Amino acid sequence: MRSDEWSVHWDLLIQNWKAVGAQSSPQSSDPLMDLTPSKGSQLLCSQCARSSRTIPRLPLSSANTAWRYYASEATNPSPSEPSSSTTTPPPPPVTSNLPKSPNPYRIKSGVILSRPPILTRDPTPFESAFYLYQKRLNERLTAPFRREFYYKPDSAADLDFRIKLKERHGVPAKDIGRYNPRGRMAWNDEVMIGSTTSSWEYMYERLLKDAEVRVSEDGEPIPEEERVPVERPMPRRTEADEKNDVRRLDRALDKTLYLVVKKGEGENAVWGFPEGPVLTEEALHETAARVLAESAGINMNTWIVGRVPIAHHVIKPEFEPADANGEQRLVKRGEKIFFLKGRIMAGQADLTDNKHGLTDFQWLTRDELRKVLPYEYWWSVRNSFDLR
Amino acid sequence: MSTSLLPSFRGLASRLLSRPFAFTSTLALTQQCRALSTTSSTQAPPGAQTKAEKKEREKKKKGRGEQQRDPKIINMLKHFAVLSPRRIPPPLRMGRNRYLRHWTIHRAWMLWLRKQREERERNWMRQWQSMYAACEELRLTSGPGTREEGYLYRVAMEKKGVYGLNPIPIEYARPQVETPPKQAWNHDWKR
Repeated sequence: MRSDEWSVHWDLLIQNWKAVGAQSSPQSSDPLMDLTPSKGSQLLCSQCARSSRTIPRLPLSSANTAWRYYASEATNPSPSEPSSSTTTPPPPPVTSNLPKSPNPYRIKSGVILSRPPILTRDPTPFESAFYLYQKRLNERLTAPFRREFYYKPDSAADLDFRIKLKERHGVPAKDIGRYNPRGRMAWNDEVMIGSTTSSWEYMYERLLKDAEVRVSEDGEPIPEEERVPVERPMPRRTEADEKNDVRRLDRALDKTLYLVVKKGEGENAVWGFPEGPVLTEEALHETAARVLAESAGINMNTWIVGRVPIAHHVIKPEFEPADANGEQRLVKRGEKIFFLKGRIMAGQADLTDNKHGLTDFQWLTRDELRKVLPYEYWWSVRNSFDLR
Repeated sequence: MSTSLLPSFRGLASRLLSRPFAFTSTLALTQQCRALSTTSSTQAPPGAQTKAEKKEREKKKKGRGEQQRDPKIINMLKHFAVLSPRRIPPPLRMGRNRYLRHWTIHRAWMLWLRKQREERERNWMRQWQSMYAACEELRLTSGPGTREEGYLYRVAMEKKGVYGLNPIPIEYARPQVETPPKQAWNHDWKR
């Protein structure tokens, strides 16, 4: 009973299989395989034409056209359709009507010149709390600190350390607050809600205070008014930050700054990245370097990263409406702007005697760029920026 | 002679008593001085005395109790004793609620790491897509001037100089730090 059903089903399957195979490739004897890419085809690159690849056909799929292989497409080009449409995408309809007109697009190369962040980002409250938590757990797990091993007994350094250790209530670590992993309260290793022990400001203060010398070379404690404070590190927010001086490069040190320039005066002024037309004998990266030097001066230590554009912006050309012959006349050429990535290591932009009609420049972060750049322009380049 | 005297003194006394004082010479003096530090030198002849002294010295060398150790070595040994596995504190022991809190903190941290990682990867994908779209546009572009289609793309794909000696300027190798230097940026750099 069951075996009969199976055999009928199998027969049907085989019949379908043969029928489909005969349909798909009538000239080949093997219905399953079709491995005859014509060698030296015009539509393949030379490497693909040399290698004969085997393409298994799905026997039961009636839609051979749904599975488009590059090679299979190339093997059976239908004679009616033009050969160029398979590999190259269709040209824009407007330009196809005008085969002999000049290129409707002007090609430009720009540079997104950025200053990488100098500072690490601020730790989030969760991160700093977690670091403190881990430090205290580490205190629970490590061997006790032996002062005698690290300091010669009764030397000035030893006396100094003893004074500081006493002020820290016997905690050898400098930045974990008051916690003794070996005492009666060893279990109490979590800070309360609202405690500032985990903030990095608190840790900075503690470390700076701890670095003060408390004992003179003779081993006598220095009174409070005679102690020399340690030189403090520079603040993370600089003077340019406070003034919001967008032309300075020592601003927003934990973010990337991008150079934007203003073209034109008055109401027609447009902000954008430095860009210029590509000459016939130039490649994109050469144009980018040249344009940067022409527009923002040579006194910048820059580096164009690679030759590959990281973003592009296309301005469509404008045409007159079609006349009786169906031909359109170009009114205004469009632009294709390709942006390369540049980094600045030192120096400052200088717009004096620039050749591109620039009047102003700014160094802006990503969020500030969004407000300054035209919307379409911003939309084209928005994906090329870094996280911060 | 009383019995409370040390044996060496006893020997010294007996010798002083037995031998005439005028007999002293340099040799005899040295023998007497040696005799001060030995215990049973009275009965032994002079040759046997030196042998006994040698044995005594060897004993002192081997004996541990009388040897003085360098305090630095003692300090280090104490330190190693503290660092020994027996003295290292045990693994963390936590109560139930404390452990549950620890677990929560750990999961939150892993979640945070994952969020950061995914954000980073998403950004890389965005940037890659931006490059890809730009390259595709470049491939379909003819020009500049009389150049054929895809010329600029082929030039952009060249890797000339990428594997050379100075592919990346050394000034670019600047790590991020927590606080800025005194001069955060060199605005006056001149070419």
